[in-house]
Order: sequence, then C-alpha cells, then structure tokens
Amino acid sequence: MKKILFLIAALSVIAAGPALAADSIKIGLTAPITGSWAAEGQDMKQICELLADQVNAEGGLLGKQVVVEVADDGGNEQTAALAAQRLVTKGIVAVVGTYGSSVTEASQGIYNAAKIPQIANGSTAVRLTEKGLKYFFRTCPRDDEQGRVAAKTLTGQGYKKIAILHDNTTYSKGLAEETKALLEKEPVEIVFFDALTPGEQDYTTILTTLKTKGAEVVFFTGYYPEAGLMLRQKMEMGFGVPFIGGDATNNPDLVKIAGKEAAEGFYFVSPPVPQDLPSKEAKDFLAAYTAKYGAAPGSIWAVLSGDGFRVMVEAIKQAKSTDPDRIAGYLHDGMTDFVGLTGAISFNEKGDRVGDVYRIYKVDAQGEFILQ
Amino acid sequence: MEQFFQQLTNGLAIGGIYALIALGYTLVYGVLKLINFAHGDLFTIGAFLGLSLLTAFSLTDKLGFVLGVSALLLMVVCLVGLVGILLDQAAYKPLRSSHRLSAVVSALGMSIVFSNAIMLIFGASPEVYPHGILPSQVLHIMGLPFPVKRLLLLVTSLVLMVALYTFIQKTTIGAAIRAAAIDQDAARLMGINVNRVIMLIFFIGPALGGAAGVMVGLYYGQIKWTMGWLYGLKAFTAAILGGIGNIPGAMVGGLLLGVIESLCSAYISMAWKDAITFVVLILILIVRPTGLLGERVAEKI
Repeated sequence: MKKILFLIAALSVIAAGPALAADSIKIGLTAPITGSWAAEGQDMKQICELLADQVNAEGGLLGKQVVVEVADDGGNEQTAALAAQRLVTKGIVAVVGTYGSSVTEASQGIYNAAKIPQIANGSTAVRLTEKGLKYFFRTCPRDDEQGRVAAKTLTGQGYKKIAILHDNTTYSKGLAEETKALLEKEPVEIVFFDALTPGEQDYTTILTTLKTKGAEVVFFTGYYPEAGLMLRQKMEMGFGVPFIGGDATNNPDLVKIAGKEAAEGFYFVSPPVPQDLPSKEAKDFLAAYTAKYGAAPGSIWAVLSGDGFRVMVEAIKQAKSTDPDRIAGYLHDGMTDFVGLTGAISFNEKGDRVGDVYRIYKVDAQGEFILQ
Repeated sequence: MEQFFQQLTNGLAIGGIYALIALGYTLVYGVLKLINFAHGDLFTIGAFLGLSLLTAFSLTDKLGFVLGVSALLLMVVCLVGLVGILLDQAAYKPLRSSHRLSAVVSALGMSIVFSNAIMLIFGASPEVYPHGILPSQVLHIMGLPFPVKRLLLLVTSLVLMVALYTFIQKTTIGAAIRAAAIDQDAARLMGINVNRVIMLIFFIGPALGGAAGVMVGLYYGQIKWTMGWLYGLKAFTAAILGGIGNIPGAMVGGLLLGVIESLCSAYISMAWKDAITFVVLILILIVRPTGLLGERVAEKI
C-alpha cells in the first residue's frame, strides 16, 4: 500500500512538473562561463540575471516569471554545440549568445532547426547573417563595418607601410581580410599579413619580424590578452611602432596586462565602452549592476548580451506570444529604434543590427579608454 | 644577424621553460611509466601561488631583487612539490596496481579539477605580476642586444637542470631513483623504499614545474588559468623529442623545441609554426623512434 501511495505521489509530482514550468518563460543564455573568455561569459550571465530580476520585479512577462537558463559554451565550438542541444531540450523560447563568432557558428544551425530565435552579442563575423537563417539576430555590428572604420583610420592617419596581424579565429581572420581588401584599393603597402597563436606568452619573435619588415603601424585584429602582452613586450624591446586594435581589444584587462606605460597611445576601433553609453537606460542599468556586483561590466560585449535579452523580452511582449515565428517576425519588421542599453536597435532582413556603432578610442597615460 | 641572434636567444629562453616542465613529465614516466597529464596545471598553480606570495609578503620590496625572488622560488617550489605529493597520494597511488590506462584517465581528470579550481579561486580573467621586478637593462654582446632578464631566465633554468642532473647522478638517493626506474621489484629487493622514491619524484617534478610557472609569471607578466594546457603540451612534446624517461633528453628536447619554434616563425611562417614543429617531431621519431637521446633506454632517467 505504501508503495502504491508513493507511486501516486511520485506520478503527481511528475505531472505537476510541466504545469509549474508553464508558469515561467525560459530564455536561454549561452555564454563562455569557462574557457579563455570566461571573464566575458561571467559578466554576460550576471547581466542577464540582473535584467531578468528587474523584469520579474515589474510583474514579469505576459504575466509569467522570466527564467534565464544558462549553458556554458566554454568558448569553444564542440562545447557550444553540446550546450545548444541541451538548451533546446529545456523548453527555452529564445536564446541569447554567444561571444566568439566561431562558437556562435557552431550553435546557430541547431537553434535555427529547433525554431528558437537566437540573438548573438559578440559575434561579428560577416557570414553568420549571410546564410539566410530566419531565427538568427545579433546586437553587435559586423566586421565589414569595422573593417571600413579601421581602414579609414589607418589611411586617415597617413600610414604607408601597414602590417596586419590576426590570430586565425573566424572573427579575427575575417576582420583582417576585410581590412586588407579595403586597404589594397588605397595607395598603401601591406608589408606583413600573418597570424599568431593565441594563448602563448612570447610574441617577441613576431615583434622582431615586424621590426625587420619596417612596418609603420600594426593593425592587430585579435583579442586583448595577446594585445596586452605584445604592447608590453614591444616596449621592453624598445620598438616604438604604434598599434591599432580591433574591437576585441576593448577590455580593461588590456591595460592591466600591458601596464599603463606600455598601453598609452594604443588605439582601437570599437563600439562605445559601457561608461560612454549615452542613454538614461544605460546609466540606470550600470548603476544597478555596480550596486549588485560591485564593479561595472568589463566590456561592451557583455552589455550587448543584456541588449539581446531586453530585445527578446520586448519582442515576446509585443508579439504577446512565445511563438518563434511571431518573435522573429516582430524583430525583423516590427522593432524600430527600440531603446537599448547601447543605443537605438532595429534589425534588417538578415538579422543584422542597423546603424553606425563604431568609435575610435585611445588609451591615455592613466590607462583610461578615451573616446576620440 | 641581429634578427637571427634575437630569435635564437628568445628560443633558448622559452626552450628553458619547456625543458623544466618536460623534466616533470620525464621523471614520472621514468619511474611509473605514467604520463602525468595534470603536470601542466601544476605549472599554472606555481605561477598563481608565486603571484599570491609575492604580493602578500611584498617579498621583492622587503628583501631586494635577488633575495626576494630566490625566497619566492623556494616557497613556490616547496608548496607545488607538496601539491604534487598530494596529487599522487589522491589520484595515482590507489591505482598503482590497476591497468596503466586507469591512471592516465585519473591524470586527465585531475588536470580538469586543477585548472577549474584555479579559475574558481583566482577568477577567469588574466592576472598580472607587478611590473618592473626583473631588471630591464639590455646587455650588448658584440654589438647585439641581449636583455638581462632573458639571460636570467635562461641561466636559472640551466642551473635548476644541472642541479637535478647532479642530484640524480651523484647522490645515493639519485641512484635509488635510477634503480627504481630500471626495475621496481629488483630495487625493492635491494632494500630501496620504492614508495619513498615515487613520493620524491612527485615532489621534484612538480617543484620544477612550479618554478617554471613563477619564472614565466615574472618574465612575461601575464598568467592565466588556461596557460598550463599549452605549456604542458609543448613540454610533453619536448620530453618525447628528447626521449621520454631520459633527463638530459628532456633538457635537450626543451631547448631544441624552443629554438625550432622561434626560428620557424621568424623565417618560414608564423601561422604554420606549430604544424612545422610537429612535422619536425614526427621526422625525428621516424628516424629515431626512441627520441633524440633515447638509446639510453636501459638506464632511463
């Protein structure tokens, strides 16, 4: 008898499970919680959870609580594909993320096949939105846009012998090639085009090569840990060539690694850093974030995941439904100049964000990023 | 000429680090026939412990450069050595009598445990050693620039290697280690406490790795919880290149790997550097399947 009672109790719990789940709307977040970009991923998680708390405090979404279902993509392709398959089975209605382009690329087919709208926050590789995926969006700009700004800056400052250095990741190589193609139309000489291996610590070999090639400026399209090390090693070598970085060098850790002295004078192309975001929404959000976690988010990329989350919440609210076709339809056609944390947000038919977001920054003697 | 000299000395400096880590692989393999895959993470632990101790006791401010750095190295060497012993007791000793593959799986597992523990304790973003600890002067040897700190890195790793070699070759305990490497049962019959030898091996190997971690931190400035993987892989390659289980082999393999890498990226292609390095490794193994100094298999270590 006891056994039967237990069985009935167990069954009723199982039956109640989905009913409980139906009282909440689950939005997935795929982020590099571990791996070499873990600092970004942990910010992304904190931002989305804070925003979900805010939505819930204001009465939730369509009368239900919003739950952020976090999956760690480890910043690598294999883990990302597994994380995507796991999230898909958890009843999420939309997914935010992720950071690296090659990582997003590994997961976007899975979400698209499952008809789950995805909104990436740091994946700027051009081809991600050239595949005609109906449910794929991104809050970050594209590399061809960034390449245009970079090429304009390089030629605008009068450099004639330009070196381009990338790190062989989808994003970095893409940006390097975009910029190279644009520069080849200009009266400048590309004296160097090659890749380094990210994660190493000794880049003096590369710097020595750059020196012998007579580069007047180096455009580095990789990430901040390598950029920081190169700036430091360049100074130690007494090699004075200016460095210009792509938007993946936009992280305060760059200055920490390089040291203020070595980082001074480094330029980079990037969407605005969180502190330079103009809107009231951004200021309120940064204040709330700093109050809860003790420090502002490290980079713009994590904030762009917050925008992805807010965009999805808005789309579900406006579509009055969690139906993927209606969400995607609203994002493509309905959303115009939604007030995001990083400025006005609208999407074109490819799912790319519309508008001009890139700025030029320079590191000053105090190690601050100064908008030019 | 200047470029060649720069690339060569740079390759030797990084090769010295590879060699120190490779010694840890080779020592353990020599005695236990086990590839300690957690070794790269012991190197990372050394780097992070070094940073914590350096800032906690502000060693170089109080003791000056030479004494401060020596004290730091000594502390880290002892602590990482202890971690190494604990690792053996927890993860390898219970598996001593089981199949060799079980211990390898245990090693891989410990590697994941260590690296994630470092991430949880110290955080995921890169950490930075204080700037300006090592002297920044540049020597000029026959008109060619040679940074003092590169020389220090190379000399320190050479001193540690020579010290280890002398210890293994000239002392009674060293003889016991060599005996255990050749035949554990016979060594036991001769009255050698093989368990002690293994414990010692798991102290010395990780200790050298930990020292390499501190040296990398001081030299390059930036340390990260994932760094052990790449260094571990390179050092493992160096150990194979020189002939695994063979101490001079690990030293030669490390230095050679550093120089090959550096010259490859300077004169052939940077992006193809790792591919070329591994092709060289394969070619050497085809010609000499036991590694460069592998003919001394009989007296491993």
